Amino acid sequence: MRINIHFSLIFTAAVILVNVNNHAQVSNSIASVEFGAALENNSVQVSAEMLPVTGIAKVQIAYRAFEESEFKINEMELIGNTAYFTIPSEAVKLPAITYYFIVTFTSGEYETYPLGIEQGENIPLELTVLATSPKDKEILILSPSPGELVDIKKLFLTISLIKASDGVDVSKTKIFLNNQDITDKCLFAGDVILFYGENFPDVVSLGQQSLRVELYDSEGKFYHSTISTFTSTKSSTLKLAETRFDYNGSIKAESRNQKFSGVSEWFNNIGIRASSKYEDFAARGYLYVTSEEKKYLQPQNRFSATVEYSDIAKVEGGDIYPVYPDLILSGKRVRGFNGEINSGYFNIQATFGETRRDVEGKLVETYSRETAPLSSNVIEIDSALYGQPYGKVELGTFSRQLFAIRPSFGTGRTFQLGFTYLHSKDDYNSIEFGSKPKENLVVGSDLKFAIDDQRIVFRGQAAVSLNNSDISTGDLTDEQIDSIFTGSGGSSLGDDAESFKDLKKLVSKFITFNQFIGPVNPEKLASAAGEAELQLNYFNNNLRASYIYRGNDYKSFGQDYVRTDVKGINISDRVRLMQNQLFLSLSYEKLLDNLQNTKYATTGYQTINTSVSYFPRTDFPGITVGYTRYDNQNDIEAGSINEAFMVDNYTNRFFTRLNYNFEWGVKHNSILNIATSSRIDDAINGTDAKYTSVSLNLNSYWTRDLSSNLYLITYNSEISAQPFNYTTIALGGRYKLLQDQLNVALNISPSFGDFERLSVELLSEYLVIQNLRLTFQFRYYNYPNISSDSVAGMILRWNF
Amino acid sequence: MKLLLICICLISFTAVAGNEKNQPSDEKKPTPVALVKKIVKDVKYKESDESDWEIAKTGEPLFDGGLVKTGTKSLALVLFIDGSGLLRVRENSILNIYGDRDGKTLNKNAFLEKGLVGFEVSKQEDEEFKFTTPTMVASIRGTSGALGHEEGEGGDENQCDGISTLILNEGDVDYQTNCGDQGSGSVGGGGFVQIDGDGNINTGDNSNDQEDILNQTSSIDTKILRLQVEEGLLEIEYEPE
Repeated sequence: MRINIHFSLIFTAAVILVNVNNHAQVSNSIASVEFGAALENNSVQVSAEMLPVTGIAKVQIAYRAFEESEFKINEMELIGNTAYFTIPSEAVKLPAITYYFIVTFTSGEYETYPLGIEQGENIPLELTVLATSPKDKEILILSPSPGELVDIKKLFLTISLIKASDGVDVSKTKIFLNNQDITDKCLFAGDVILFYGENFPDVVSLGQQSLRVELYDSEGKFYHSTISTFTSTKSSTLKLAETRFDYNGSIKAESRNQKFSGVSEWFNNIGIRASSKYEDFAARGYLYVTSEEKKYLQPQNRFSATVEYSDIAKVEGGDIYPVYPDLILSGKRVRGFNGEINSGYFNIQATFGETRRDVEGKLVETYSRETAPLSSNVIEIDSALYGQPYGKVELGTFSRQLFAIRPSFGTGRTFQLGFTYLHSKDDYNSIEFGSKPKENLVVGSDLKFAIDDQRIVFRGQAAVSLNNSDISTGDLTDEQIDSIFTGSGGSSLGDDAESFKDLKKLVSKFITFNQFIGPVNPEKLASAAGEAELQLNYFNNNLRASYIYRGNDYKSFGQDYVRTDVKGINISDRVRLMQNQLFLSLSYEKLLDNLQNTKYATTGYQTINTSVSYFPRTDFPGITVGYTRYDNQNDIEAGSINEAFMVDNYTNRFFTRLNYNFEWGVKHNSILNIATSSRIDDAINGTDAKYTSVSLNLNSYWTRDLSSNLYLITYNSEISAQPFNYTTIALGGRYKLLQDQLNVALNISPSFGDFERLSVELLSEYLVIQNLRLTFQFRYYNYPNISSDSVAGMILRWNF
Repeated sequence: MKLLLICICLISFTAVAGNEKNQPSDEKKPTPVALVKKIVKDVKYKESDESDWEIAKTGEPLFDGGLVKTGTKSLALVLFIDGSGLLRVRENSILNIYGDRDGKTLNKNAFLEKGLVGFEVSKQEDEEFKFTTPTMVASIRGTSGALGHEEGEGGDENQCDGISTLILNEGDVDYQTNCGDQGSGSVGGGGFVQIDGDGNINTGDNSNDQEDILNQTSSIDTKILRLQVEEGLLEIEYEPE
């Protein structure tokens, strides 16, 4: 019994820290996806393992909270054959995060995972978010604090159970340090438990320590546990740290072979991370060098260095991801510099660098002036050099520079007002064979205020953009302006050439002023974007109301993924009941497009999301039941002249999730997902679609060293009366050997039906010496009658 | 009753501090109110007014009525066991710790006899967190700041002697006089209140000197003096001025 409980706790986790493996999704690029702990209001780490395909340029994740309809899209960090990202805590809301991936290839083509999201042939995936247990607050680990660096000679543990439930029997509490039961070495002083390391020097070791506290009720039944980690070190090291110098880092080197469609290819990479701290200064560095770096592609290597002084100042250089108001600059890699000074009353942030590097195009064919065809990839070339004035080319990519600056006032805790300026421009001279270099200017403002201890929070931001779609001809000259205004009746711009010149003089200080500058209808707010959100947090309610407006011509080169030509409202509420055991969620969204009358009709997008989650404290499954309805319609009727643009569809989606930890011989944790969706499309070219999936995930902990996992999914869909059904079974286990020095894991996953594949994964990890790990991984994918692909690699990881 | 409580505390302490202090026992011991989380240089404690001062060790539990005393260039970090407050007891200070437990709530009172204490107190729900000095009572609702008390010429003989200053970094505090004219009020972040033995109240915005005191009391930066002695390297950690 003790052992069982022991393991249940080690893998507590398990429920909370469930690694969600999507073994079964059909994909040409992603093998599996793993998540860290998905706890409400906590950030979640995501990693997507790639299949052995070549030519992946970038991987992006699109995610949104349950009550939202707009996806945020961010580039993931691609290291070796795995892409990483951390979903920020703001998006981690009950009951689930909706997400999918976008994999872009060096050819410029891209696909989603699951396949066909943007074509409406599939729907995004969902990650169940769990509520943090209110029981967590019943165990107070006062010393050491989480992550604290402590002197091994002065180590003492203090656990306070003053807040523990009346049902808890404090005397039955168990304390584990690095999985060793030290309860009999602790002093129970009322509801406080103390442990003095100096009395038991053999118990405490150097390095990272894991402290686990288990509570039991008066009948001896397990009640709750919590885990905290800290680091113990020698006095001399600690003194060094207390003189405020500390450092750590890691080196990871990988060599792997990928066999894909009969082609074998080697990849090698090395990544070095280091960080140090001296008094209030902190510095971080990162270097990643890969054999996938090619001059004809966007950079695959990464490097960065950051120096921070407390929260007051920061300077970073290299590949950076600056965060500004997300209408303007967010999730974009910039190779350059970013600096911030935050005094509280006045703050300033500035960024300068390159968001794209130049990649030269290729001349394919030359033409005379007379024979040149009219085509976007036929451009003027140097006739002295190539013999002809026109050439058909494979277009290259101009390097693109970006500059952004944001002064702001206030700390942001209760008030902040910011102003942002962004300018981005293609370097026309960076390549020879390119077309239509572009330029972009955005100015915006953002405001936040919070009162009554963050119970009332208002956030708003607005921005206006100017975009020039071809700056190759430079600014209009005064002569060109005169020629426009010359002639009978003037021009559509009026008849005041001088005013126009004055306008050009003013605007051209900021952005190239020519006939390609937009928007052409600024008076209709075509290039304006704004959003405002009010949050009220009272009586266990989290009520949120927001309004968005995005003109159809709004464009920021610092943010590629803002949905434009849309306006509307979103109202949502999340209620916590029964001492945080029952959660209700309801949201309504109504959006409209065609803001500037640039479409044949205005389409309304209405979404209703509802869910109920119950996470009981008793021995009973956690349950989430949800319903979503999408209604999209415009007023174009079948048979009308514009029937091709008719939109008239609705989708009903139901889902149920159960997660349950139970003991049947040994400890198990399980997750059952049932989801069904039906889309009826009454438009002329509409596509009806329906699908049902049932999946079961079962993790079992047989002994301290052996655990297993079983995953089963059956997926049935019908798109345009075309059925697609398959079943996947994944069976795997993990075993620890040589006193935990060696970890071996094996997973076998066959898929049957319309999607046939056999996937085998073998992974072993060996602790060579302290802090040095050697990992071997082998993955094999067999697609019957198509191909057999594999990945085999070694990873050496050293932490210092 | 008080004597009985002292005896219980003493017995408990003996159990805690004795050679077998880490051996659990079936006997139900009282719950400490706070503990000394960090010690720099010269820090002493005693179980109650009637006890003798003893050298405090890191992790020392403090029971209801316990006292902490710091010497020159010394520092003690005191943490309440409900995790609600962290006190930085600066040099040459004497702080009494009181705790009154009512079910799951712990009402705390830190009485500053003299010296300077920096504090960070989390938001109190149904609980009470009070700072008292010979001249002031302050009810804390969740805030950070510093409290100092300078003894007057009357010394310990005069209970209402001296002057107390409460400097707030953030949050709100309700205060009232402990002596002389009865007065009360509240002070918010960025403000201070000063009360003397006659009950005179002086409030306003923090001066630069007071901001310096806040900065000084909010950090625990220490210096280490290393001396090579016959027995080896002697290290003395102390609080810089």
